[in-house]
Amino acid sequence: MPQGTYLRLLVFFLGPALVLYSVFSIYPLLATILNSLYSHQKDGSFLWNGLGNFHTLLFDPTWSEPFWNALKNNFVFFLIHMLVQNPVGLMLAALLSLPRLRFRATYRTLIFMPTMLSVVVIGFAWQLILSPLWGIAKMFLQTFGLGFLFAPWLGEESSALITVSLISVWQFVGIPMILIYTALLAIPDELIDAATVDGLNQFQAFFWVKLPLIWPTIGLVSVLTFVNNFNAFDLIYAMKGALAGPNFATDIMGTLFYRTFFGNQLQLGDPSMGSTIATMMFLIILIGIMVYLFLVQRRIQRYSF
Amino acid sequence: MRKPASAFAVHAILGLYTLLAIFPIVLVIMNSFKAKRAIFNTPLRPPLPETFDPIGYSRVFGDSSLPFYYLNSITVTVGTIFLTLLTGAMAAWALSEYKFRWNTLLALYLSIGIMVPIRLGSVAIIQLVAEMNLINTLTALVLVYTAQNLPLAVFILSEFIAQIPRDLREAARCDGLSEYNIFLHIILPLIRPAMATVAVFTMIPVWNDLWFPLLLAPTGGKQTITLGVQQFLGQYITDWNAVLAALSTAIVPVLVLYVIFSRQLIRGLTSGAVK
Amino acid sequence: MAEVRIEKLRKSFGAVEVLKDIDLTVEDGAFVVLVGPSGCGKSTLLRSIAGLEPVSDGIITIGGRKVNDLAPAQREIAMVFQSYALYPHMDVAANMGFGLRFAGTPKAEIAARVAEAARILQLEPLLKRRPRELSGGQRQRVAIGRAIVRKPQVFLFDEPLSNLDAALRINTRVEIAKLHKLLAATIVYVTHDQVEAMTLADKIVVMNQGRVEQQGKPLELYYRPANLFVAGFIGSPAMNFLPGKVTPGGVDLGADGALALPLPAGAVPGSAVTLGVRPEHMRIAGTADGLRIDATVELVERLGEMGYVHLRLPSGAVAIAEIRGDVGLGTGDRTSVALDPAHLHLFGADGHRIA
Repeated sequence: MPQGTYLRLLVFFLGPALVLYSVFSIYPLLATILNSLYSHQKDGSFLWNGLGNFHTLLFDPTWSEPFWNALKNNFVFFLIHMLVQNPVGLMLAALLSLPRLRFRATYRTLIFMPTMLSVVVIGFAWQLILSPLWGIAKMFLQTFGLGFLFAPWLGEESSALITVSLISVWQFVGIPMILIYTALLAIPDELIDAATVDGLNQFQAFFWVKLPLIWPTIGLVSVLTFVNNFNAFDLIYAMKGALAGPNFATDIMGTLFYRTFFGNQLQLGDPSMGSTIATMMFLIILIGIMVYLFLVQRRIQRYSF
Repeated sequence: MRKPASAFAVHAILGLYTLLAIFPIVLVIMNSFKAKRAIFNTPLRPPLPETFDPIGYSRVFGDSSLPFYYLNSITVTVGTIFLTLLTGAMAAWALSEYKFRWNTLLALYLSIGIMVPIRLGSVAIIQLVAEMNLINTLTALVLVYTAQNLPLAVFILSEFIAQIPRDLREAARCDGLSEYNIFLHIILPLIRPAMATVAVFTMIPVWNDLWFPLLLAPTGGKQTITLGVQQFLGQYITDWNAVLAALSTAIVPVLVLYVIFSRQLIRGLTSGAVK
Repeated sequence: MAEVRIEKLRKSFGAVEVLKDIDLTVEDGAFVVLVGPSGCGKSTLLRSIAGLEPVSDGIITIGGRKVNDLAPAQREIAMVFQSYALYPHMDVAANMGFGLRFAGTPKAEIAARVAEAARILQLEPLLKRRPRELSGGQRQRVAIGRAIVRKPQVFLFDEPLSNLDAALRINTRVEIAKLHKLLAATIVYVTHDQVEAMTLADKIVVMNQGRVEQQGKPLELYYRPANLFVAGFIGSPAMNFLPGKVTPGGVDLGADGALALPLPAGAVPGSAVTLGVRPEHMRIAGTADGLRIDATVELVERLGEMGYVHLRLPSGAVAIAEIRGDVGLGTGDRTSVALDPAHLHLFGADGHRIA
C-alpha cells in the first residue's frame, strides 16, 4: 500500500476517536492538573501559584481539616468495601459456580439487579427504608425481638458513614460477584475432579485449588474497588447532599471536590482549589494503580488452562 | 451438591441474599401504587383493591417536565451509544489491523482513560463546554460520555476484531474491496455481538449518571431523568406517594432493559474477563 | 488462463530474509505445487503472488503483466484459503458473488456465473445456506466456487485440504484434480503434504528456508532428488542416509561394508559422502546383487500386507526397510538387508547429488 493511502486510512479510522477522547478526556485531565498550579483571584483572573494550593490544602486548617476528614472517610468507605463487598461477592460467586446448581441464572440476574439501578434511586429508597418515619427497618428488628437496636443510623455522626458504605456495598456487590464468578467458571472441571480424586472435599478444593487460581481476578477487583471508591460521589450527594452531613461525617473526596468547586451555603466556589482537590484525587488513584501494577500484580502468579 | 443438606444450605444463602437484593426495589414499586395510609400502616403488603391509589403517579406525570427528561435521557444515551460504537469500532479496526509505529503507544494513551476517571477533569470540562457555548445542551453530555466510554469500547472491540480470521479480511481484499468497504461490509456485520455488549456497558452508566448532568446541564429543561428525579425528590420530599412513584418511574425502564439484555450483559462481562 | 513468472523475488521482515532469490515459472494451465516444511516460505510466496504481502525485490508477472504494484483484486487471481474464509454473515450465493458485486458486474451476470459454478461443484441445493450450516467439505467447495466465479487468470490454493478429515481429503483431492482438467486452469497450490504434491502436481517446487531446493515433475524429484533435503523430504518413510567415504572403486561405509559403484569424474577419493536409499529399495534377506548389510531388528511395524522394519546397522546407524508379507521377524532378531543397486543416491559433503 502506498504511504499516502496508508496515512489517509489511519487518519480516517483513528481520527474521530482520538480527537473526541483527547479533547474531552485527556485535555481536561491535564488542564485540571495545570489549573491546580494557579490561584483564582476575586476578579476572576488566575495567578501562578506553584504548589501553593497544595500547601494550603494540606496545612491551612480551614482547608486541611475538611481534606483530612474527607480522606479518612474515603479510606473507611474503601475498607468497608474491601472487607464486606469483596468477600460477600466472592462467597456468592463461589456458591453460584457450584456444579449442578439449580436456578443459577435466576439468582445471578436478581443479585446483579441493584448494580444496574441509578445510585440516586438506590440512595433514596434506602433512605426511606431506614427512616424512622416509615419504620420498615424498625419493624424488621422488632420481628426478631431486636427493636431496641434501631437507631436513625443515617442521621447519627457515629454511624452515618458506615451505613452509607454498606448501602453502596449492597448496590455494587454484583460487580465482584460477576467478575469472580467468571474467573471460577474458566477453571476446568477436570482440575476439581482431580482434587476430588486426591481426596479433597468441596471446601478444600475451593481453598486449595480454585482460590489460588483466581487471585489475579481478586487483585483486579480490588483495584477497581479502589478507583471507584475514591471517585465516588453520587450516592452521598443523593442521600446526604453536598454538605455530606451530619457534620461532614459522610464527606468523601468526591463531595469535597464538588463543594469546593461549586461552592455552597458556607463558601464560594473556587476552581483552583477544586482543581487542586481533583489533582489530589488523581494522585491518590494513580498511587493505588501503581501499587497494584508494581507490587500486587507482579507477585500474583497467573496460570493459563 | 450430592448431599441434600448442603444443597439446602446453598439455596438458603443464595435465596436470602437474593431477597435482600430485591427487597428494597420491590418495596418501593409495591408501595408506589398504594394510598398514603396503607403505605405507612401495611408497607409489606402488595397493593390490594382497597389500598390501590395511583395518586403518586398522577402527581409525577402532572409535573409536565418528566416526560421531557425521559426524552433527554433517551437522546443522550442513544447519541452516546451511536457515537461510541462508530468512532470506537473505527479506531479498534485501525489499531488491530494496521501495524504502525505508534500502535502500542496509542493503546497505552487510550488505557489512561480506562484507569483514570474522567470526572477528575470536570473543572476543565466545564470551562471547555462553556467556551463552546454548550452549557445546558445534550450535545455536551453526549461528547463527554463518548470520550468517557471510548477507551473501553476500543479495547473490547479490537479484541473482538483480532479474533476475526486474517484469511477473511484477505479474501475480501482478493475480492476487490477497499479498506473502507472491508470495514463496512465485513468487519461491522461480524462484530455486532461485541457492539451489543459495548452498547449495554455504555447505556447503564450513562443513563444512571448524576454527576455530569448536574455539572453540564442542570437547568433549562435539559435535565436527564436521573437528575430530574433527584430534583423532583428534593421538592416533594414529604409527599410519599409522589416520591415512591418518582422512584418507580426511574427504576422500571432500567429494569425492563435489564431483563431484556441481562443475558447479553452477563455474557459480555463473562467473555471480557475470560478473554 | 495465464503464465506466472517470478524473477529474483526477495522478501525480508526486518533482518530476516524469508524469500531468497526465488525464480519460478508457472506455465499456462499448469498445476504447480509448492511444498516444504512449515516456515519454509511457501505460503509467503503464494501470498506474494496474491498481493497480500509486499515484496522487497524482484518481479512478478501474471499473463505477461507486471503486477508488483497492483492490489490483489487487480491481479486477476483467486485464492482458496486454508480456513476457507467464507463470510459468515452471507449465504453461499452471496459469498460466491461478493467480489463481482464490488467489481460492478451486472446482477444478472453474477447470478449466471454463480449458478454455473454451483452446477460444477454440485452446490445448487446449498445456495441459500449460511456457512455455519455447511459441513467442512461443503465449505471447501464453496471456497473453490467463490474462486471459479471470478474467472481468474490464476487459482491460488493455500493448504486447502488441511482442515478436512482423512477420507474427505482424498475425495477432495480427486475433485480438485478433475476441476483442473475441466477448467484448464493455471493453479499454484501450497501444501506440506507430499502425497498431495505427488498426486496433483505437474510440477513440484520444494522449498526450504526461503529457497527453492528443486523444481520438477513429481517422479523426477522422487527418482533423482537434487540434494539431501529434497531426498529426505519426498517419500515416506524418509530415505535412509548412510555416511561414507569415496574410495577409488566406490564408497566405503565403514562398519557397514564397502560398495562398488561407478563414480563420476571429480569425486575425490577420501572425501565424505552420504549414501541414500529408500526403504522400498532395501530388501530384507533379499538376494544380493549389490551390497548386503547385517542388521538387528529394533521394531516391526505391520500396516497389513506391507510393513516396515526398523533396523540397527553395525555402524550404529538406524535404517528402515520395507517388507511385504510376513517375514517372520521380531524385535532383537538378526537379519540382513540388500540395497537395490539401481536405486542408490549419492550426495557430496555439500549435500548436492553426485550420482
